[in-house]
Amino acid sequence: MACFRRASPALMEILNKLDSVEKPTDTDHNLYEFGSVRYHVQASASDPEIIYLSISTPPLSPEVLLRNGLPDCTLQDVRRGYCDIADIVEPPKEGFVLTLRLDFAKLPQSRDRIKAISKISSLQAVIQSSQLKDMLWNLGSQDMAYGMCKPIKLVYHPREPFFVIRMPEKLKAIFPMRFKDNSDVILATSLFQELMDMGHSTAFTKAPHCTWSPIPPPELRGEPFEYLTTNGGFVSFDILSHHVKGAKADRTVWILLNFYAHVKYYVKCTRGFIHRKMRQRLESLAEVMQNARIREGRDDKKLQDPGCKCVKKLMRFSKSNILKRRCSAIANQIKRIRARIRIKGLDRFRRQWFRVPKFPSLKKYSKLD
Amino acid sequence: MHNLQANTLRLYLTCIRNTLEAAMCLQNFPCQEVERHNKPEVELKTSPELLLNPVLICRNEAEKCLIETSINSIRISMKVKQADELENILAKKFLRFLSMRAEAFQVLRRKPVQGYDISFLITNYHCEDMHKHKLIDFIVQFMEDIDKEISELKLSVNTRGRLVATEFLKQFI
Repeated sequence: MACFRRASPALMEILNKLDSVEKPTDTDHNLYEFGSVRYHVQASASDPEIIYLSISTPPLSPEVLLRNGLPDCTLQDVRRGYCDIADIVEPPKEGFVLTLRLDFAKLPQSRDRIKAISKISSLQAVIQSSQLKDMLWNLGSQDMAYGMCKPIKLVYHPREPFFVIRMPEKLKAIFPMRFKDNSDVILATSLFQELMDMGHSTAFTKAPHCTWSPIPPPELRGEPFEYLTTNGGFVSFDILSHHVKGAKADRTVWILLNFYAHVKYYVKCTRGFIHRKMRQRLESLAEVMQNARIREGRDDKKLQDPGCKCVKKLMRFSKSNILKRRCSAIANQIKRIRARIRIKGLDRFRRQWFRVPKFPSLKKYSKLD
Repeated sequence: MHNLQANTLRLYLTCIRNTLEAAMCLQNFPCQEVERHNKPEVELKTSPELLLNPVLICRNEAEKCLIETSINSIRISMKVKQADELENILAKKFLRFLSMRAEAFQVLRRKPVQGYDISFLITNYHCEDMHKHKLIDFIVQFMEDIDKEISELKLSVNTRGRLVATEFLKQFI
């Protein structure tokens, strides 16, 4: 599924095409993704190695407006991640939060080139992950109450906000779950129960502790009512310090950002699986119904057990007889029609061109050499 | 416990089979009210003299089978066991799926009778086209298969959930 991949597939395709183009031309691509992310790719024929990539993405937290572009920490992360292949253009293009100047001449050759292009296409994931990391690490102390910070509302997918609360020893991510259909709620709830059960098992002591509750947790007390009305309950993850150490930080943040997408994908696949099983069962039940029919002819009395070999042989013999009789009747009719007008000297022509096809016998076989 | 359940199921199905064997004596009977019409009297219920007493066979509070007979048709309505919410939605989905494809079964009603999950309508024409004992076998086997299928679906859904949860949590390790 496209939303689980860090790299934007459409952007990657465009960059690959620009990289492998034989005759350079002026290129100007505008790309929209997920309803809120916008890319602008610009290349010039005079300098095909230089490509300008601009991105506009909504802020992760609606409370933080990106008036002056991206925060410094995000720009630093982008510089660090793309220092060898891209430079940040300041100020960014109008209407965009970031513009990168990509130099394809600096890209490595062969397989690493594809990896580098994939890394460039993951720009949106880098920006969002960086924003989330910055928010989690830099919560102000004036927002503290009862030993924990005020919940921050984050929006990665439109209309699917989730909350992050910083506590003295951990971070808590709370996902209010909403589904359109009641059956989706039940399927998702079974998944959340399994997440809780597996989280308690000894194999996953290092994984974040997961809880599900049908009612809002106490940490969300005071939040607006519209955020607390759900039909799928609330899923919470306790993120400890070892989950966000070093390289794990990016992975953990990416998993949290895509939790909704994971759940929705699971529900969709489970519905498809249920439909497949139902269709298989329908076929087997319908077959029983077909066997209940009273068949025509004498053979139906003998066909009590169609699984028996001798009965199968009897079926084949009687079927082939009927087929043979019908074919010979058709052949005779064709002969009669064609033989009505007899012209002298044309017998040979008739024999050659109006030959009646012989139908092969089902009992005989031709040996292949 | 399992033996007890299997025994009660056997008794339940045997009772239904015996009732169907007695009730499925159908004959052609044209409609008394409209000329040149031939309608299943069990659906219309306009002439009480053409209807027999309905028989309700209950395995427990959740599972029951209603057999309504008339001179030219018989209607069998079933309520399937639904222990929890997941079985509830699986049974609802599955039986609705089958009802929407009622033409594949011929004797299946597109809409179940109120208060029941699925209904069959067998007319004298069906008895002429199909063997009576095989029709009864089909109904009884259908009931067994529905229970089995719902249990299997529930198990599969839970297994899938467990696998997905395992893979999700593995990402953190």
